[in-house]
Amino acid sequence: MSFGNIKSILLKEIVGAVRDKRTLITMIIVPLVFYPLLFIGMGYFNQVGNKKSENSVSIVALLGKEFAVQLSEHLENQEQIKIISGVDDAVVSLKNGDIQAIIEIPPKFDDKIINNEPSQLLLEYDQTEVKSRVAQKRITQAIDDYSDKIISQRLRVKNLSEDLIHPFNLETKNVASSEKMTGTFLGILLPYLIIILIFAGAMHTAIDITAGEKERGTIATLLVSQISRLEIVIGKCLAVMMISLSSMILGLSGITISLLTGNAIAGSEAIEGMKMGISFQAFLLLFLILLPLVGLISAVLVIMGIFARNIKEASSYITPIYMLTIFLGIISISQGIELTGNMFLVPVLNSSFVFKEILMGKIFWGHILTTFTANTIIAGIALIGATRLFNKEEVLFRS
Amino acid sequence: MIQVDQLTKVFQDKKRGKIIAVNHLKFNCQKGKIYGLLGPNGAGKTTTLRILATMMIPTSGKASINGYDVVKNSSKVREQIGFLSGETGLYDRFTPRETLRFFGKINGMDNQQIDKKMDEMFQALEMEHFKDVRVGKLSTGMKQKLSIARCILHNPSVLILDEPTVGLDIMTARTVTDYVKSFKDDGKCVIYSTHIMREAEKLCDKIGIIHHGRLLAQGTLACLKKEFSLEDLEDIFFKLIERENHLR
Repeated sequence: MSFGNIKSILLKEIVGAVRDKRTLITMIIVPLVFYPLLFIGMGYFNQVGNKKSENSVSIVALLGKEFAVQLSEHLENQEQIKIISGVDDAVVSLKNGDIQAIIEIPPKFDDKIINNEPSQLLLEYDQTEVKSRVAQKRITQAIDDYSDKIISQRLRVKNLSEDLIHPFNLETKNVASSEKMTGTFLGILLPYLIIILIFAGAMHTAIDITAGEKERGTIATLLVSQISRLEIVIGKCLAVMMISLSSMILGLSGITISLLTGNAIAGSEAIEGMKMGISFQAFLLLFLILLPLVGLISAVLVIMGIFARNIKEASSYITPIYMLTIFLGIISISQGIELTGNMFLVPVLNSSFVFKEILMGKIFWGHILTTFTANTIIAGIALIGATRLFNKEEVLFRS
Repeated sequence: MIQVDQLTKVFQDKKRGKIIAVNHLKFNCQKGKIYGLLGPNGAGKTTTLRILATMMIPTSGKASINGYDVVKNSSKVREQIGFLSGETGLYDRFTPRETLRFFGKINGMDNQQIDKKMDEMFQALEMEHFKDVRVGKLSTGMKQKLSIARCILHNPSVLILDEPTVGLDIMTARTVTDYVKSFKDDGKCVIYSTHIMREAEKLCDKIGIIHHGRLLAQGTLACLKKEFSLEDLEDIFFKLIERENHLR
């Protein structure tokens, strides 16, 4: 095996990919331009929408106003609630969006309050409408305040302290460091993103340099040269690995820029106080887990590309594998799921869980070694499979 | 030289069953000669040439290039051969200079050898003005010149040319056939498949007429004319094809 030959194939594929406008669009323009624009746009419109909802006054129909004089006054005094009465068909008005909520007061409400008897209020709103949800929150808050006021009055009448109904306070304190908080936040999202970005980045190049070569008729010129099939496959897999790693790094950079710019625009505090606490050891471990995973995904994609007759066929073969990868990635997002022993032999799933553990600061050597070994062996088998396919004339010259 | 003995290739097709693409073919071609493999589409020409170029393995029979068996010594065979087909097999995103450097390297040449050979070929094939233009922007004629350069860059002694003029305009086709003649003058052994009678008449020292994988007749043009008492290669060709179809 000649490393010079592998290098020649690798360089040829990398230069070819870099000169392909589609690669540049998917690798650079989409993550570094479109992601931030998308997040800025989403942040901006979300902010505008929220402000509009917060600033608007909720129109509320009050039915049975005469049964609760003090409560009606209390509600009317709320700045962002406008009480209307005498609505003919309040439910229809609510459904049409003319009003945002209905409060129904039963007869003798005030009497029951005075006599310390329990009473029932009914609040109707439309869960599917933002303005109606805002109205529901405002009314609930206002009624809770009114309820507290009545309780205080009753306690005062009976000369009782408010401490009687609040025997103790519960103070909660988060002991997690900001690094751990960041790690947990990243641990949920990052493994999934890494896997999807690796796959998406590798897909186009893998198809182009395998099925694409068949479609363009360039494969024969490679096969009759003095380079071995193994050298061709290794060179091509390395090229796909490099492109997908670069694509993942650019994708993550794009998402980081997007989060920072998007949040800055929207004024969100979601990532305020975030601190990256990844140690050098954790970083090395992440890379150690990443390499066989990228190798495995690249080799599988190269197999699919070689097997397919043309680019179109390769895309249809790869789509179900992409869906499966997304599914395995989603499992890692789900909180509370823990992998057991043998499950760390399942490619993609194992990496995403080990990524998660490392990012959360948990180093389980058993999981790391199992994942690394399993993925390396499977990547090696896939590489051998790809080389075998490259030797099969019925695959190379399928028509 | 090329030696082919009882070469057979059978494909298994799910729908059509067993297909004998090449059926006990036997011929040879010497140094400084052009052997023309003449036949209609689907005759087995491309399969034969793919076996000779080590891209396919024969079902039975033998073939050797300069004494090296195409199955047992495939890597040695690949050192001896240059392969050219109608499909240019070039990378659109590379320039001719980059293309030749790449193929030179994977054919075991060092940078000095590649540079020297490239300069020679850019001059000989009049490629100077487009040597740094990407292949995707070149005309068909320019591409075929580059394909010729790619094929002979590592100075192979045997050239396997699979319908190299198919789909080319008359001017480009002429450029290709002129080069094929020059290969012969350089002492190379050339096997040339075609279905164009005129090309076979003009270029080939020996012609083998192939149909349904079988070699129906072979010999020099003069011998074939004498054998079939016909003056025109096309008439000889059709007579053989009709006879073969009648027998089947």
